[in-house]
Amino acid sequence: MSRRLSIAFFALSVAALVLMIVAIRQASTPGWKDYQRTFLQLEAQGEPNAAAKAEVLDTPLAIHQVMLPGLQRVDRCTTCHLGVDDPTMKNAPEPFRYHQGLGPHASTRFGCTICHGGQGLATTVKDAHGNVPFWPNPLLPADYVRASCGRCHKEGNIPGVPELTEGRHLFETEGCHGCHKLDGVGGSIGPDLSEEGASERSPQWLENHFLNPAKVSPGSAMPNFHFTRQQARDLTYYMLSLTNQQMGTYYSSFNQIPSAGYGRQLFVQKDCIVCHAIGGVGGKTGPDLLDVTKRHSLEWLDEQLVNPQNVYPGSSMPEFDLDTNARKALVAFLNSATSDDAKAILSGNGHALNPEDAAIAAGSLDFGRFGCAGCHGANLQGGVPNPNAQGEEVPSLLHLSSDYTKDDVVEIIRNGRTPPLDNAKGPTPPLYMPAWKNMLSNEDIQQIVAFLWSKQQKASDSW
Amino acid sequence: MNFFRDIWNSIVRRDSLSTDKGKSELVFLNVWLHIHPAKVKKEHLRFRHTFYLGFITFFLFIILVTTGIALMCYYRPYPSQAYQDMKDLQFVVFLGPFIRGMHRWAAHLMVICVFLHMCRVFFTGSYKKPRQFNWVIGVLLLLLTLGLSFTGYLLPWDQLAYWAITVGTNIGSYAPLVGGQLRELLLGGHTVGQAALIRFYVLHVAVLPGLVGLLTIVHFWRVRKDGGLSRPLWKLERKPVEELVTIGAPAEPAALRVSSAAQSKTYGLMEVVTGKPIFETVSPDEEEDTVFAYPYAFLRESIALMGTVVGLMVISILYHAPLEELANPAKTPNPAKAPWYFLGLQELVSHSALVGGVVAPALMVLALLAVPYIDRNPSRRLRERKWALWLFSAFVVANLVLIIIGTFFRGPGWAFIPPWVHVVAGAE
Repeated sequence: MSRRLSIAFFALSVAALVLMIVAIRQASTPGWKDYQRTFLQLEAQGEPNAAAKAEVLDTPLAIHQVMLPGLQRVDRCTTCHLGVDDPTMKNAPEPFRYHQGLGPHASTRFGCTICHGGQGLATTVKDAHGNVPFWPNPLLPADYVRASCGRCHKEGNIPGVPELTEGRHLFETEGCHGCHKLDGVGGSIGPDLSEEGASERSPQWLENHFLNPAKVSPGSAMPNFHFTRQQARDLTYYMLSLTNQQMGTYYSSFNQIPSAGYGRQLFVQKDCIVCHAIGGVGGKTGPDLLDVTKRHSLEWLDEQLVNPQNVYPGSSMPEFDLDTNARKALVAFLNSATSDDAKAILSGNGHALNPEDAAIAAGSLDFGRFGCAGCHGANLQGGVPNPNAQGEEVPSLLHLSSDYTKDDVVEIIRNGRTPPLDNAKGPTPPLYMPAWKNMLSNEDIQQIVAFLWSKQQKASDSW
Repeated sequence: MNFFRDIWNSIVRRDSLSTDKGKSELVFLNVWLHIHPAKVKKEHLRFRHTFYLGFITFFLFIILVTTGIALMCYYRPYPSQAYQDMKDLQFVVFLGPFIRGMHRWAAHLMVICVFLHMCRVFFTGSYKKPRQFNWVIGVLLLLLTLGLSFTGYLLPWDQLAYWAITVGTNIGSYAPLVGGQLRELLLGGHTVGQAALIRFYVLHVAVLPGLVGLLTIVHFWRVRKDGGLSRPLWKLERKPVEELVTIGAPAEPAALRVSSAAQSKTYGLMEVVTGKPIFETVSPDEEEDTVFAYPYAFLRESIALMGTVVGLMVISILYHAPLEELANPAKTPNPAKAPWYFLGLQELVSHSALVGGVVAPALMVLALLAVPYIDRNPSRRLRERKWALWLFSAFVVANLVLIIIGTFFRGPGWAFIPPWVHVVAGAE
C-alpha cells in the first residue's frame, strides 16, 4: 500500500517537473523571436565580411516597444516589423519592409496603432493585428488607414485626404447633429458619435449603413439620405477619425495645419469681410487688410487676433477664440490675400453683408451645423418619414409664418416638441423635436429663426 | 566532516527517522508539522472519509498566495494602468499567462473545494459536539473565500470585471437601511471607479488573506484539540458506543472515567494546571489502530498537494485566464452578470430584489452559521438524521440549480435562453 503511494507521489512530482518545463518552454519560444532571427539573417546578408555578419547575428533578441504617453499607448509592433525605419529594407518581404512616405510621422514618435489600429501591446501575430475577441479596434483595412489622420488633424484641409474634408462637410451640412451628439453638441435620437472611431463597427459596416441604414440595422430611425458611394465613404472616413482621446501637446498642436487655405476658410467662416476690406473690397468698419503682414510683425498680428483690446483699447473687434494654428493660418492667408479674394468671398455670399443678412447667413450655417436640416431638409422642405406623426413625416418649415409668430418658433426651438399623433393609440413616432435651450444660445436661436423667416413662402403663393 | 555534521545537528535535532522516537520528534519538534499528532488513526487517512478536501483547499490557498505575490510584482491598482499591466502579463512577462492562469483557476477551484468540504463535513455529521464552533469558523472561511474571489474579480479592470462587480455590489445594496451605505463604503463612491479599485485591492491582498490565514490556524488548532478528525461513519456503525474524549472539552464525568491500566493507556498533560486535570484515554484497540504521521499521513498529504499542483498546471497550460476589453462604464454588456458563485443570488434578485438580495442570502448565512446549534440530534448516523440530510441536500441542489440557470440559461435582458440557442445581438 505504502509502496503504491510512494510511486504515486513520485509520479506526480515528475509530472509537475515536466509540466514546469513545458510551461517554461512555451514561455521562452514566442513567435516574435523567430521573426527577429529571420530579420537578423536578412540584415546579415548585406554585411561585407564574416565578422560583421556574425556580429549582426549575435544581436540579442528583445521586445522592442515605443512608449507614447502623449498618445496613451505603447506599441510593440516594431518587435517584428523591424525594418519600418530602415530605408535599406525598402524591398524586404513583410513584416520587415520599410514604411515609405511617413514624412514627419516617424514611428519612434507616433508608433503604429494610432493610424493603423490593432493591439499595440500584443506580441503575437493574431493578437497584435487585433482579430481576436475583446479587442474592439482590429487593424484598419489599407483603404481606410488615411481616415486616422483626422484623429489629430481635427480641422482644416488635410493634404491627401479629401475624404475627411468632404465627410466633415457632409456631416455639418446634412444635419447629422440633429439626431447625433458629437462632443456634447447635438440631439439624442441616434447614438452619440464622439467615440465612433473607437467602436467595434467595421468600415464596411459604416459604409453600408450610410448607403442604406434600414438594411444594416432594421428598425433604425435614421432616414436614408441617398448618399452616393463616394459620400458614404467620405462619411465613413469621418466616423473612423472620431475619438475623444486627448492627444498630448506634441500631437494636438498638429490638429490644424496653418495653411493659407485653412486661413481663407476661417476668414469666410468668421465673416471677417463684414468689417474688413481687402484692397478696398469689403466692410469699412475695420482697417483694410491688404498687405497687413507687411505693416505689422507676425507677433503683433498674433496678439491682435488673441486679444484686440490689448493692442487697441476700445477696439470694436471681437475676440474670436482662435487657437495658435488658426491664428497662424489666418496670417498665412492675409499674407497673400488680394482684392480678388475679397470679391470671390463676397460673391460666395451673394451680396455684401448687412447685420440682418449676417444673422440670416449665420442662421443658415447653424441650421445645417446643429442638425435641423437632418429632419427638416436642407431646403426646409421636411418630408423625412416619421410613422404615426401627423402627416406621417417631419413637417416642412416653409409656411411657418402663416401659423406662428417668431416668438412661438423661438419657444418651440428652445423647449422642443413631441409631434401630435396621427392615431392616438398608435406607437410613439421615432423622431421628435429636441429641446435646444441647453445647446444653443439665444443668439443662435434668433439667427436660425431669422434664417427661417427669410425662406418663408407667402401663404398667397400656395394658392 | 564534523563541521557539516554539527551544522546539520544544530538544525535537525531529532533522532533518526528509523526509530519511533525519531518519527515522533519529527512531528513535535517541528513548528510546521506539530499541528499533526505524532500518531494518527488509520481510519482518518482513508481517502473516502474526507476526500482530502480540507487539505486541497488549504493547498489552493498556499498556491494563491504564492502566485498572488508574483502577480503583485507587476500589477498597479490604478484604472489606466491595471488593464495595461494585465496585457503586459499576457504578452511580455515571462510565464505571465501561466502564473495568472494558476491564480485565476486556483481561485475558482478554491470556491468549489470549500463548498465541497462543507458538504462533506455536513454529511458525515462532523459539526456535532464538540466541533460546533469549528463549523462556524469554517462557514466564516467560506464567506472570506467568496470575498477574496469577489475582490480579486475586479482587479483586471476589463469589462467582465467591471460589470460583474457593478452587478455584485448592486445586489448587496438591496439590503434595507444599511445596503446603500455598505455599497458606498466598499466602493468608496457611488460607482465602481478608482476608489473602488484601490479598496478592493487592499482587501484582496492584505485584509482578507490575513483573516483567512488567522482563521485557518484556529480551524486547524481546533481540529487537533477536538481529537483530530471525526470518526468515519463506517466506524460508527461497527462500534456505536465508542466516543472520543476531547482534550480541553467541557468535562463530563463519564468521559473522564479512568479505565484499568491493563485495558487502556492514559496520556496526560504533565504540567501544573489549575482546574481539572486533562487526560486522553485510549484503549489498546485504538492504540493499534494508529500509525506514525511520518510517513503515512505526510505521504498522503504530499500526494494531495502534488495532485492539486499538477492539476492546476495542466489547466493553466491548456486554458488562459480570460481578459476582455478595457472596462467601459458607458457600455453595459447585456446581460451583465455577477461572478458565477453569485449568479444564484442574481437569479433570485431577478425575481424579487428583496427576497433574492436580502432575505435569501441573510437566511442562508445565518442558517449555515447556526447549523450545529439548531441540529441538536446527537447521532451522526445517516439514517437517524433524515431531516438534516433532506434540508441540507435541498440547500445544495437549490444553489446549484440557481447558479446553473443564472450561468447558462440567461441571455440579454435576463431572458430565459437555453445555451444551445444562439442569440445575435441587435445592432443599434
